[in-house]
Formats: sequence, C-alpha cells, structure tokens
Amino acid sequence: MIFSGAVQFALLGLLLAGGSPLAILATAAMLNARYVLLGAALRGRLRQPRLRRALLAWWLLDETAGLALASGAGAARVMLLSGILCYSAWVIGTTLGVVGASLASLQGLAEAIFPVLFVGLAALSIVNRTAAIRSGNAALVTVLLIIVFPQARGLAPVIAALAVVLPEAKR
Amino acid sequence: MSPWLIVTLALLTYLSRAASLVLLPKPSPRVERVVSRVPAPLFAAFAASSLLTSSRDPASVEAFTAVLVAVAVAVATRTRSLLVILAAGLGGYLLATGVRALV
Repeated sequence: MIFSGAVQFALLGLLLAGGSPLAILATAAMLNARYVLLGAALRGRLRQPRLRRALLAWWLLDETAGLALASGAGAARVMLLSGILCYSAWVIGTTLGVVGASLASLQGLAEAIFPVLFVGLAALSIVNRTAAIRSGNAALVTVLLIIVFPQARGLAPVIAALAVVLPEAKR
Repeated sequence: MSPWLIVTLALLTYLSRAASLVLLPKPSPRVERVVSRVPAPLFAAFAASSLLTSSRDPASVEAFTAVLVAVAVAVATRTRSLLVILAAGLGGYLLATGVRALV
C-alpha cells in the first residue's frame, strides 16, 4: 500500500527506534515532498485527462520520473511500464523480506546501489554543462544541509535542488 | 503498528504524487522551463544524501567507489543509459570489495 522504498526504509528505522506516529508521518511528508517537484516537472509532458493522470500518479517514483523525463514523447507510457516493473520488484522484494529471506549479505551492495541509481537518474536528466554544474552544486548543498541541519535530512535534497534552480528562474 | 497509520502513510504518499499531476494546470512555458531544471539537481542531491549514513558519517568505501566509477563513466562516455551507469557502479563496488578482501 505504501509504495515508496524511501518511506519504507525510514519507517523501519523509526519503528525500531520507537518513533511516535507523528514523527513517522512528518518524516514521510518530508520524504514525499520530492514527488511534488517531480510531478510538476512531468506535468507538462502528460496530456492525459485528469482521471488518467490520477491513475498515473500511483506510478510516480524517482526511477519512473527519471525515465519518463528522459523519454521525451510517450512519458505516460514509460512511466506506466517502468512503474509496473518497479512495483512488481518491490512487492517481490518486500514479500521475500517478510517471509524471512536472508539478504544480509547484500546489505553492502544495497548501500552502494542507491547512490549509483541516483547518479544514473541525474545523468539521464542532465542535458547540458550548466545542468551538470547545477547538479554538482545541489549535491554539495545537500551534504552541507545534512551536516548543519541533520533533523531536516529528508527535505535537504529538495531544498538544495530548489536553491540551485530558483535563482536562475529570475533570469 | 496501527492499520490507521499505514492507511494514512499510504494516502500521504499517493496524494504527494497526485498533487502536481492532477491539481496543477498545464504549466506556462516559463514555469515549465524552470521545473524542467529541477530533476537533475534533485537526483544528484539524493545521490549525495545516500552517501551519508543516518549518523552523518560517510558511507562505506565500496559505496563511494561505486559512485565514483559511475560518475566517471557517465562523464567520460556522456552516456544517458541507466543500465550502463548501474553496471559501472556495480563494477566499482566489486572492485572495491575485491581490493578490500586482498588488503
């Protein structure tokens, strides 16, 4: 039901640490803020009527948004197909975890593959040198924000991305 | 964990996705130009965020190597293939794991 790996990981950490329901909801809200931005970036490419866009929203993930944005035309189809793939993999992975499959040996790989996945999604979205510089700046700002304001970790990437993009919007 | 909390989290997750896709009108060209710049820095920011642990320590050497190799391949080849970059990252991870085993 909660189709979000990021929320799932955060939820697990908070539950193990005895976090309150309010803390869990606040963390989920921070982590989900990215989808508002990704949805806004995709909105112009989706010409479907409102009901279809509401159905497509279920499949809005970092991965599907990155692939859909890179695909140009046919963003809705790419989002749907990649979303179904991601959802299948997520359900299978979660089920394996629930029934007790021991994947502890893959923990190191899992830790490495997430940043690599985001590097790949960034590379898909970088269209020129300026975008590459902007992305590097956002990465630096994120690290600084997390070091200075650790409690806002979930929001740091969103704030950093806006911080590097919005000043240019005035030009 | 309460079923209500699960339902609320599911709703919150879905609504954050639907908010822009359903409620926003088609953006003007200027707004579209601005929001189209967001994904690349956002993904780069998430990559950076994933390289710090919850206690703000750097991630493992293997994770850093995987990212360095992935970035190097992305820059050198200017590829926009997610599979190539994932494969490069996996190669970097295996390389670092192998070196660590030898040392």
